[in-house]
Amino acid sequence: MKRSAPTRLSSVGPLRRAAKVGDAAGAAVQALLKPTKALGFPYRKPSVPKGMIVPPNVSKLGANFETGWARSTPAKAARRMVTNGPMHAFVRAIASPEIVGLDRLADLERMKETPAVIFAPNHHSHVDTPLMITAVPEPWRSNLVIAAAADYFFDKRVKGTLAALTLNAFPIDREVTSRKSSDELRHLVDDGWSLVIFPEGGRSPDGWGQDFKGGAAYLSNRTGAPVIPVFIDGTGSIFGKGMKRPKAGKSKVVFGAPLLPIEDESTRRFNARIEAAVTALGDEALTDYWTARQRAAKGTSPKLTGPEYNGWRRQWALAEHRKLGKAGQRRRQNRRWPDLG
Amino acid sequence: MPRPGFVLEVDRSTPSIMFWRGENFSLEKLPAGRSRVIYPPEPLEAIKDIDGAIRHALLNPHDQDPLPTQLFPGMKLTIAFDDVSLPLPKMRRPDTRQRVIEAVLDLAAAAGVDDVHLIAALGLHRRMHEYELRHALGDRVYDSFHPRGMLYQHDAEDHDNLAIIGTTDHGEVLEINKRAAESDLIIYVNINSVSMDGGWKSITTGLASYRCLSHHHNPETLENTRSLMGHRHQSALHTSVWRMGKVLKDHGPKIFQIETTLNTDMFPAPFDFLSKREWEWTARDRATFLATTKSLNRTPIKLARKIFHNMEGPHQMTSVQAGDTDAVHKITLEKVYEQQLVDVVGQTDILTMGIPYVCPYNPDGVMNPILVMCMGLGYLFNMYRNKPLVREGGVIIMTHPCYRDFNPVHHPSYIDFFEQVLADTTSPAEMSRKWEKQYAEDEWYKHLYRTGNAYHGVHPFYAWYWGAHGLQHAGKVIIVGGDPATVRRLGFTPASTMDDAFEIASDVVGRDATITHLHAPALLVADVQ
Amino acid sequence: MSRLVFSRKPARFAMARIAGAIMPGAGASVGPLALEPDEQLPLPTSEWVRLHTRMAGICGSDLSLIDGTASAYFDPLVSYPFTPGHEIVADVANPDGTPGRRVAVVPVLSCVTRGITPLCPACTVGRINLCERAAFGHLSPGLQTGFCADTGGGWAHQMVAHPSQLIDVPADFTDEAAVLIEPTACAAHAAARYTGKETVIIGAGTLGLLTLAAITATRDKVRHAPIVVTARYAEQKRLAKKLGADVVCASDEMPRYVRSATNSLVFGDQLTCGAAHVIDCVGSSDSLQQALRVVAPGGEVQVVGMPSNVSLELTSLWHRETAIRGCYAYTHADFHTAIDVIRQHDLGHLVSATYALKDYTDAIAHAAAAGRRGAVKVAFDLRGS
Repeated sequence: MKRSAPTRLSSVGPLRRAAKVGDAAGAAVQALLKPTKALGFPYRKPSVPKGMIVPPNVSKLGANFETGWARSTPAKAARRMVTNGPMHAFVRAIASPEIVGLDRLADLERMKETPAVIFAPNHHSHVDTPLMITAVPEPWRSNLVIAAAADYFFDKRVKGTLAALTLNAFPIDREVTSRKSSDELRHLVDDGWSLVIFPEGGRSPDGWGQDFKGGAAYLSNRTGAPVIPVFIDGTGSIFGKGMKRPKAGKSKVVFGAPLLPIEDESTRRFNARIEAAVTALGDEALTDYWTARQRAAKGTSPKLTGPEYNGWRRQWALAEHRKLGKAGQRRRQNRRWPDLG
Repeated sequence: MPRPGFVLEVDRSTPSIMFWRGENFSLEKLPAGRSRVIYPPEPLEAIKDIDGAIRHALLNPHDQDPLPTQLFPGMKLTIAFDDVSLPLPKMRRPDTRQRVIEAVLDLAAAAGVDDVHLIAALGLHRRMHEYELRHALGDRVYDSFHPRGMLYQHDAEDHDNLAIIGTTDHGEVLEINKRAAESDLIIYVNINSVSMDGGWKSITTGLASYRCLSHHHNPETLENTRSLMGHRHQSALHTSVWRMGKVLKDHGPKIFQIETTLNTDMFPAPFDFLSKREWEWTARDRATFLATTKSLNRTPIKLARKIFHNMEGPHQMTSVQAGDTDAVHKITLEKVYEQQLVDVVGQTDILTMGIPYVCPYNPDGVMNPILVMCMGLGYLFNMYRNKPLVREGGVIIMTHPCYRDFNPVHHPSYIDFFEQVLADTTSPAEMSRKWEKQYAEDEWYKHLYRTGNAYHGVHPFYAWYWGAHGLQHAGKVIIVGGDPATVRRLGFTPASTMDDAFEIASDVVGRDATITHLHAPALLVADVQ
Repeated sequence: MSRLVFSRKPARFAMARIAGAIMPGAGASVGPLALEPDEQLPLPTSEWVRLHTRMAGICGSDLSLIDGTASAYFDPLVSYPFTPGHEIVADVANPDGTPGRRVAVVPVLSCVTRGITPLCPACTVGRINLCERAAFGHLSPGLQTGFCADTGGGWAHQMVAHPSQLIDVPADFTDEAAVLIEPTACAAHAAARYTGKETVIIGAGTLGLLTLAAITATRDKVRHAPIVVTARYAEQKRLAKKLGADVVCASDEMPRYVRSATNSLVFGDQLTCGAAHVIDCVGSSDSLQQALRVVAPGGEVQVVGMPSNVSLELTSLWHRETAIRGCYAYTHADFHTAIDVIRQHDLGHLVSATYALKDYTDAIAHAAAAGRRGAVKVAFDLRGS
């Protein structure tokens, strides 16, 4: 009997078989493409002439993501079903929101032609967006566009589509808004869409607020739409930046009185005014209206950006600060350790 | 452009006219050729920028320095505000009081004022429930001041907290809330629904004691008040109030009076047809009317009351003025009359009116039979200037079911008043002499007024005295659709239908009597020549 | 000549109870009460005399007996078969059978009528209503004439009585006035405890109205506070006002009247002050409970209307040191007082209707619905047979 190779190396056999299959497939494809070889461009990729530089393709992702389709009527209808049903239930379950200050919007609601407005809330969590959508009353809720970070929400096609469809998101750059984006936003407002812009630019990294950037003020100046300052409390503990999973808790949304740009007021000044308003609302949410008014009048409202510490003392102060608000109210008393004061 | 009020001469083409009848309505046909219906003016336009108007008023008061200059740190500031008797129905949030008080508090915070007290100027009315205070002042103001004990309700029986300001030259003692009397500044926040209120009346009744009120809340004064809503110089009530106002001005604390007026847009859609002229009802209005009356016929009365009392009216501010009381009130009255005045020529033999489910003394409660009399002969009869709409000795016909039903929490002394006092006498003078003192001094009523939500023991008497002028003036009072035993206890004549009522009236005013129907609400004041 | 007899027939008694629960007074037709031919009763002793009844009233205790709602307490105090009726005006029969003097009967069968010597302690002091020997002596057991097999009763044309039971009726009295003497004596007995302070009389049926009449007739001088009477029907209210009540009201209004009259505050349902003296002429759970709610601390609730098995919350009695005291029947003196009361108030017109014996079912139905039908006292007219 003739033994050609050792039987232990039986894997060699399958590899060879695979190579053979590959060869056969490659040969088949080549046979198919053989006619087009003769045809060349435009069936095949063109070759670039010597000395020519091909400009890079304009990426359709990020700030250039097309979201106009999401504002069409069928998309609106689909979104309304999501908002009023599942989103509302989800927000209620995860954030148990208490929504106050709506009477400050009563005069705008009463007007025959309710104007578009720009909501300017502070930002601690992804939950803020669906929370805002649930909290904002009609007639603005159905005509709400959320300004969302282009690099976070619109970097992938699927993510961008989902954001546009369910949240009616619009891509906006965090730092410096491009001319194009701001023009488009301006047109949206002129068309009657209300905006939600988070002036901090992104979620708080450490639980304290960040400085307000001028996007909302700029747009309000250009379009004349009133800015509604909003303070959201408690979402940082529910699903803050860096948390892996959301943890159900309580939240509070406080709407402030509409702010209109004063004649010849610079964007910077208006932005400062908006930031002061949200700061005062924060004080009102955590203490009470009268204390907030008194401190606002004296200029001693506690700043949203927190104390001037670094490191552990900043975190420590954050815990004290959170006790004042909704995060300090436990939904269920499941304390396992005795409270030693 | 809102149309003014006018007088409709009823002819054969006039449709049936809508009458309020407690928690329901009815349509009555008035005889052609000798009836007229007085329709109120349509609601005036509300101010567009209400908060701006308030701020302007505070910074530009009449005959006084701007409010910020009157505020300084360390001062004792008291903000008194009208209680929940008005507006009727309650306003949508934010209530005028909330807007004005928040604007005032903003200025107070800017000036560094810490000692601020907010007092509900309710006089001898009932204490308000928490939800009523929250509705009037807003949650922000309530949550800031109530837990600190800086928001509370005037207690006219707390003798440690009353102070005598002085005595008028007629011997009337002005005794008001002590905290208010000792303040550096009292800011009064008023809503003027009717021309009776406001001016010096705000503080001299709202923050007063029984002793002080009894000087003008008595039958003699009210019989000589012609009328409550009309010419002030013919109103004994108001001349007494002015005397007290002078004492307040000369010897009392500084007062910054803020008065506001409301338009008469009282009913939310889809019930706005209630203030529309009947021949202008659209098909939808008629359908709504039929559906409403038919379902109300089947609804248990408790539920019907709940539905009506939960209604929030879209009425809004039409003017706001602040500063010196006399200067401010003059403007307020002009604005109220601008909204409510209707020119009418001549009196008639009969006056008809539909009594609604609510009057200033039963917000969120039951309209008991005494309040039916108060609303009809007190408020609606007095909606005139110059002369009453009905001639002296004429007949007044009202429609209301007049159930023998009382709210025992709000009106405990009214129950006893109906059972004991009215069983004895219906004459205001007689009951004042024989029964008033007992009710005013009863410990149990005082306890309920001070700690519960009850009107003061003496209040049913005041409700009855309010109609004293009407009682004296009319030859007969008939209530259509009312429970007969209850109507007789009130001293009136029961009738089942309007035609029966006219028949009974013909005994007094003859067969071809002329009839005026007061198409209220909305509110109107008839200027009768 | 006939008489009504109440026999011991348990089955019929049960049926009466059921019928009476559905419609008061219906026990008359289905119960043990029956119309039988009159029989001449033997005289228990030679002292006793025969009476020819003129008129006999129907009392609330008779009605509860007929409807089966009377308490079992009375079983040892009753002997069957008996003729009911204890409100009697009759003629004493002369030996030749002709009618003699007109008398009212004191129905109580005490030691003297029973031939018991020495007298029991109560009878010794004249309190015949509290006689301890009501089931002893030579007579069968019987609380009163009208509950005893040996004496007969008012609802017959003839009966027998002991001379000590007879009180002469004044000549100017009508028979109607005379038939009211016995119930008015009950009222006079109750009125004797009137103190002049705030008093409430609960119930304006016969008993309530007569109690009011007795108070205003005999004790008006000590009155220095209002008397409040609760009445349900318009006719009762009218009569109460006429007989001198200061305030007449419905029973649910009464606590409010008492509250304002006595300047009382309220704990829940209980008045803190209240009326010093409450006379309950109804005797039901509701009326007694209401009485406890409005009686002043240390005050007295006098139970004049006969109660049977009632259910009461007695915490307020303990807490406020109040008393519930029964009031039963009368003494001889009360009968004489009654005559004065009847004369003073002309009470004869309180007899609203009379019936012949054969119409006894109608009579009893009328008496059971007296208030609603605008009547006060219903009586049998036995004259002229």
